[in-house]
Amino acid sequence: MNPMTAGLIGILIFFLLIALNMPIAYAMALVGFFGFAYLTTLPAAFALVSTELFSAFANYSLSVIPMFIWMGFLAFYAGIGSRLYNLAYKLVGHLPGGLAIATQATCALFGAVCGSNTATAATIGAIALPEMQKYNYDRSLSTASVAAGGALGVLIPPSVIFIVYGIAAEQSVGRLFLAGIIPGFLLMFLYMLAIYLVARRRPELGPPGPKFSWIERLKALRGGLFEVLVIFAISLGGLFAGWFTPTEAGAVGVFGVALVTALKGGLTLEIIKKSLADTTRTTAMIMLLVASAVIFGRFIAISRIPFAMADWAAALDLPAFAVISLILLIYLVLGCFIDALALILLTIPIFLPVAVTVLGYDPIWFGVIIVMVVAMGVITPPVGMNVYIVKGVAKTVPLELIFKGVWPFLIAIFVCLVLLISFPQLATFLPSLLH
Amino acid sequence: MQYFELAIIKISRLMDLLAGIILAATATLVVANILGRALLNRPILGTYELVGFLTAAVVGLALARCALENSHIAISFLTDKLPPSWRRFTELAVGLPAMVFLFFVAYNIFSYGSRLAASGVVSSTIRLPFYPFIFLVAAGFLVLAMTVILSLFRQVVGGEAK
Repeated sequence: MNPMTAGLIGILIFFLLIALNMPIAYAMALVGFFGFAYLTTLPAAFALVSTELFSAFANYSLSVIPMFIWMGFLAFYAGIGSRLYNLAYKLVGHLPGGLAIATQATCALFGAVCGSNTATAATIGAIALPEMQKYNYDRSLSTASVAAGGALGVLIPPSVIFIVYGIAAEQSVGRLFLAGIIPGFLLMFLYMLAIYLVARRRPELGPPGPKFSWIERLKALRGGLFEVLVIFAISLGGLFAGWFTPTEAGAVGVFGVALVTALKGGLTLEIIKKSLADTTRTTAMIMLLVASAVIFGRFIAISRIPFAMADWAAALDLPAFAVISLILLIYLVLGCFIDALALILLTIPIFLPVAVTVLGYDPIWFGVIIVMVVAMGVITPPVGMNVYIVKGVAKTVPLELIFKGVWPFLIAIFVCLVLLISFPQLATFLPSLLH
Repeated sequence: MQYFELAIIKISRLMDLLAGIILAATATLVVANILGRALLNRPILGTYELVGFLTAAVVGLALARCALENSHIAISFLTDKLPPSWRRFTELAVGLPAMVFLFFVAYNIFSYGSRLAASGVVSSTIRLPFYPFIFLVAAGFLVLAMTVILSLFRQVVGGEAK
């Protein structure tokens, strides 16, 4: 059997195993190990699951993952989300669909201290959904707006998905974080516009909330916004300025959130314990996935599939735009079934050479595009992660109803993607300032 | 069986607690290093190495609890549609190889650690013998494999799929 055939059979077995509910990390490591042993030698494969597995766990550049996860969970338990919502609610709540619009602003701001889309969706869902229910919002619109808004937390730094992409594609985490800022806020505005247009056309879906005086609004400004900005400026500002490594920025962020919470008198041992338990669990999940992807990636690399893909794409003789659209379509389809992190780890070794070496795209730009496409995956059936999270908060709302409401948001992401492909500077401008 | 279940749950919780404490210590070390560097112009030697090893310990110790709470990402929407008897069969079909493989990984990492312990290999900056961290990761995989046994037992005996 030639290496290519072995690689393809390996990929098929992998898909079979995960379809049968084997955890994705186990399946990647298992298939990667046997495939590698088949194409090289058994001792080489033994080294892969001992030395290299340990080195993947003990890698300083991966230690950034638990730091930013902990920072997000601390912010989650500390109630920073509800103070942010209070502000956004007082500013735009009186517009048609205003509470859903406020939800988007809250998701974006909370995303600046939290690196996970699911944590963002869970936090904001718990705060915003009861409020929208109070004002008789259409449940499909309210739940879908939270599920979609959670994805803003992925684009706006810190972002665990960007970190994982950075590891898989060997790109600077700081530059990726910077690259996500403009697209993140652009997507936020497009989401808001989508909600506004839907609520203007059918006012009964999103009735306006109360209007507040400017004095009340200014008072609310003191709530969450200030603390988020300070934490963001010190932690990520330090990273962008080159003072901190990503791990240090994360640890500083953890202490920043803890300090701000302690100053408000809200830091309890309970919060620390709960946030730590959530963090170790999520860290174990992500790091096992990353380490398994290293094993799987070795196998795929020696199967020469990435080279064959690159050759094939080069021989296609299509415009770069068409090839990249094809790749995005593949991501979109796979993203409906496979979790975002796993999907990125699985596919970057195969598609990155095509996008960067053959088509000449900027790897940072490609990262932003990929993250945006997988953000579509978290709100599409059948495994839209964020939709399940929101369902966990709003237990009485049927899943189908939430999925029905995501259409305006999917269109908004699509528009954002088209803009990013037409004007790559939207993603590459900020990172280019770093030099 | 009940004792086994209880033991696995207790051990993985204890390990996870330890992982949390180590993580908190790691974050503190990182920040202390920044302060030392910025204020006293004296960074803590070996922070870079230690943070890597400590992170490995955190991950290794948290693996089993993560599995017990079903947090390792899997795709269940296809098997959910199968009748219970079929589902039990598929669980066994993927669970058994997964379990054997995880034991094998644990053994491999353990023997890697023993080799390093025997040959006296130390880290490059602070000359720390780091084989204990390797043993922690091996222990993590060992208990992880046992959580898979536990869920297989539950499938075969009780059938109360969780």
